[in-house]
Amino acid sequence: MPQVEFSNIVKRFGRVTVLEDLSLTVQDGEFLVLLGPSGCGKTTLLNMLAGLQDVTEGTITIGGRDVTDLDPKDRGLAMVFQSYALYPTKTVRGNLKFGLSAQKLDRAEIERRVTWAAGLLQIDQLLDRKPAQLSGGQRQRVAIGRALVKNVDVFLFDEPLSNLDAKLRTEMRLEIKRLHQELEKTIVFVTHDQVEAMTMAHRIAVMNGGVIQQIDTPDEIYERPANLFVARFIGSPAMNTLAARIETSGQAIAAIHGPSGVRMDLSDYAFRTPPKHGDTVVVGLRPEHFIVGETAEPTGAVFTLPVRYTEKTGSDVTMFLDNGEKDLISVRFDHKHHHVPITGEAPPVWFPKDRFDVFDAASERRI
Amino acid sequence: MAIRWSWASPRLALVPAVSVTLVAFFGAILWTIWVSFTRSRRFPEYAIDFEDLTRQYDRLFGDNAWATSLENVVILALGSGLAIVFGFILAAMIEREKRGEGFFRTLFLYPLAVSFIVTGLVWRWLFNPDLGIENFLHQLGWESADFNWLGDRRTAMYGVILASIWHGLGFYMALMLAGLKSINTEIWSAARLDGVSFWRLYAEIIIPMLKFTFLTCAILLSLGVVKTYDIVLAMTGGGPGTSTWTPAYFVVNSFQSRGNIGFASAAAVMMLVMTLVIFLPLVLITAWQARRREARVQ
Amino acid sequence: MSTQATTAATAAAGVRSKARKKKRISGSSITIMVFLTMCAAFVSVPLYVVIVTSFKTMDQIALGDVFALPTTWTIEPWITAWSEVCAGMTCEGVSHGFWTSMKILFPSLILSIGVSSVTGYALALWKIRWAGTFLFVLFLCAFVPFQIIMIPLVVLNSSIGLFGSIWAVAIVHSILAMPLLTLIFRNFYKDVPEEIVNAAIMDCGSFWRIFIEIILPMSANIMIVVLILMITTVWNDYLIGLTFGGVGTQPMTVILANTVITSFGAVKYNVDMAAALLTAIPPLVVYFALGKFFVQGITAGAIKG
Repeated sequence: MPQVEFSNIVKRFGRVTVLEDLSLTVQDGEFLVLLGPSGCGKTTLLNMLAGLQDVTEGTITIGGRDVTDLDPKDRGLAMVFQSYALYPTKTVRGNLKFGLSAQKLDRAEIERRVTWAAGLLQIDQLLDRKPAQLSGGQRQRVAIGRALVKNVDVFLFDEPLSNLDAKLRTEMRLEIKRLHQELEKTIVFVTHDQVEAMTMAHRIAVMNGGVIQQIDTPDEIYERPANLFVARFIGSPAMNTLAARIETSGQAIAAIHGPSGVRMDLSDYAFRTPPKHGDTVVVGLRPEHFIVGETAEPTGAVFTLPVRYTEKTGSDVTMFLDNGEKDLISVRFDHKHHHVPITGEAPPVWFPKDRFDVFDAASERRI
Repeated sequence: MAIRWSWASPRLALVPAVSVTLVAFFGAILWTIWVSFTRSRRFPEYAIDFEDLTRQYDRLFGDNAWATSLENVVILALGSGLAIVFGFILAAMIEREKRGEGFFRTLFLYPLAVSFIVTGLVWRWLFNPDLGIENFLHQLGWESADFNWLGDRRTAMYGVILASIWHGLGFYMALMLAGLKSINTEIWSAARLDGVSFWRLYAEIIIPMLKFTFLTCAILLSLGVVKTYDIVLAMTGGGPGTSTWTPAYFVVNSFQSRGNIGFASAAAVMMLVMTLVIFLPLVLITAWQARRREARVQ
Repeated sequence: MSTQATTAATAAAGVRSKARKKKRISGSSITIMVFLTMCAAFVSVPLYVVIVTSFKTMDQIALGDVFALPTTWTIEPWITAWSEVCAGMTCEGVSHGFWTSMKILFPSLILSIGVSSVTGYALALWKIRWAGTFLFVLFLCAFVPFQIIMIPLVVLNSSIGLFGSIWAVAIVHSILAMPLLTLIFRNFYKDVPEEIVNAAIMDCGSFWRIFIEIILPMSANIMIVVLILMITTVWNDYLIGLTFGGVGTQPMTVILANTVITSFGAVKYNVDMAAALLTAIPPLVVYFALGKFFVQGITAGAIKG
């Protein structure tokens, strides 16, 4: 029922246009993540849904009801903020109760909801404390609790995990996921952290420059990025992108990388629109898909380039190969199974035939 | 359509402040300016006197007491300026010495809690020629000591200045102390490492860094000087003669004793002009600082 | 081995710091202390003289020597000053003025702080497009000399029949204080985290409930600062009380000035000084009790924008 729909949203601050004709539908019960670098308009979009910022043009509906001009409190939403935004002078209980003040509820119902939310988030012990007496993780739980008690159908999260340390962040990630599975509410979650997006979302909307670049499941976004921006933004280390020229001969189609002369066999690549001989394209190669040493898999390319330097990160090694351009090619592999090359060595590195991503050089779109 | 209270409430809440500003400030200032061009005497008249538009101003600038008042404003500003100088020296010393900071700060600031009326009366007592400090000095054997400043037209103003400094010293010290404390502590350490001498450190680094604090102090002092009234009334009652009149005293006197509203208004307008002249740099500095702060953020 | 080294290092550091401390005391410190003490004397001597004078008999005062302690301590001048001394025609001491000042003080505080805090809150935390312009106007108003709006305010007050009452004095005080207090409140409230306000807007949305339940409880510090600022301003004012107060509704400073300046016959300096002290005591008590906030208060009053 509470499907959220943005139709043809335009947002301007003075003469600066932040969002241009944006449309987006969030399904009932869906966990949608808005992902993008800072300044991409994702928080503006969330704030407009919350009613904290005005919409310049377009409409927003929640469950078919036009909420574009409604007061924030009348939209049937709850929001969790980045800095938690707990009321410093109220106790945890007071914080939870104040969230119910817009709804005219009797005292027993308020008590019931507070107890329920506190139990769900394991903050029963903290109800009489002030926010200043809580740890970061506890404050986060209270902030979520304050949203939960309102018993609404749509929850908004504005980078709620970015102020937590790495360990707590993982813990809260699971917690939010668990709550979503239990309560089955619609969630719109804003973040710039791709790990959060990949692990939590049903669907991710990748935004840049006020435009939704791709909206799809995490797998699809990882496997088949719609354009170069998404390709480079998702994945760590970032995807290698090589400008190359297409060469066709009969059925065979390949891309040649100029500076290194490496030939990439694209015969198995599922083109939407096959390029012509001589076209320039950008070929994307994920660092983790490279194979170091001998392999039985059908390979699409072999790189024999000098190693500039290597970085060990626990189980993995990333080595950077000099391909004659400014950006080095990064290759990630498991160092337990392979000898780690030293600087200057040029070990052969293979790339599987079915793992390429190819983009048009001019439009930067996937082809 | 229903009223959006989230839109209406804050605007309703601003109604009192906006009306006060419009009526009591804007309206009143315009009223005074208007009346200064009429023939109003004991009661306000609202017909502008086109025959002799500047009659009140002509009379004002022909008035000796007004000339004295203007002169006194300058003397008072220069004299009380010492409060800034001493305020800075005190602040620098307190900041450097640290010992007894709380004690000295509390002590230097207490006069500020005392009204100008009380300040004036107290100093009047100290200047009393028969029983005050002069008498004390005579008894000590310094027969020629002359501390009866308030009794002489030439020196009465210095008495007022001394009392003003006593009252305001702590205020400027507090502002300077706040300015000094906002200076990055690493500068002191760096200067010590570089072996910069005490005097050079202050003359070349600290004072230039505090130039905005100095300017703020100077402007606040000037605005205070233009408004000086109570302390003159309590110390000298404007006398001897009109030797210690100030513009503020002049306006109140024209209104209350002479009962001439048009004349008092003209003098009040001149006070406003003086304030604007002092105020302009403050506005410009504030705007400039705000822009600089924004530039730094971006 | 390493423990030994540490101990030695600590000892050396101790010696060094001791040596430096010694040097500092013998060096510029003495000059500084002497200068500070001289200035302290300049600041405190008037208070001392007033206090001792107020406890002396007129016989001793007539001998001169303002700095001497009273030979016989008497509280007679204080009693006279409080309840018997004449101000102009009436002879009821400064006590009447004391109570009038109190009656003026409370409505002034409530009116000015009430209006300014709500205005500051609305300007700082609610989106109002002309807020910047209005703040600039208030900034200008805060510096307008009272004399330029005094006469029209007198005319206005007479026309609505308030002139000469305690309310006239209190309202004029509130009007004059409004721009500055609003700026102080606004500068304090603009530092309230935006997300807290947004959370409150989503939770409740009511301008007044957010103010009363969330913002006011966060304002304790600034309230104390403003309170001290207002108490000293209102209590120490002379001109507004003189101009807008009528006979019998004039504040303590006016009564004091009338007592001392327009006294007839033999001048009783001890009574004058006792009356002056009585007038100065309330703000001084506030100052010495809450000195820390007082410093904050006057600096907040001075630097803004």
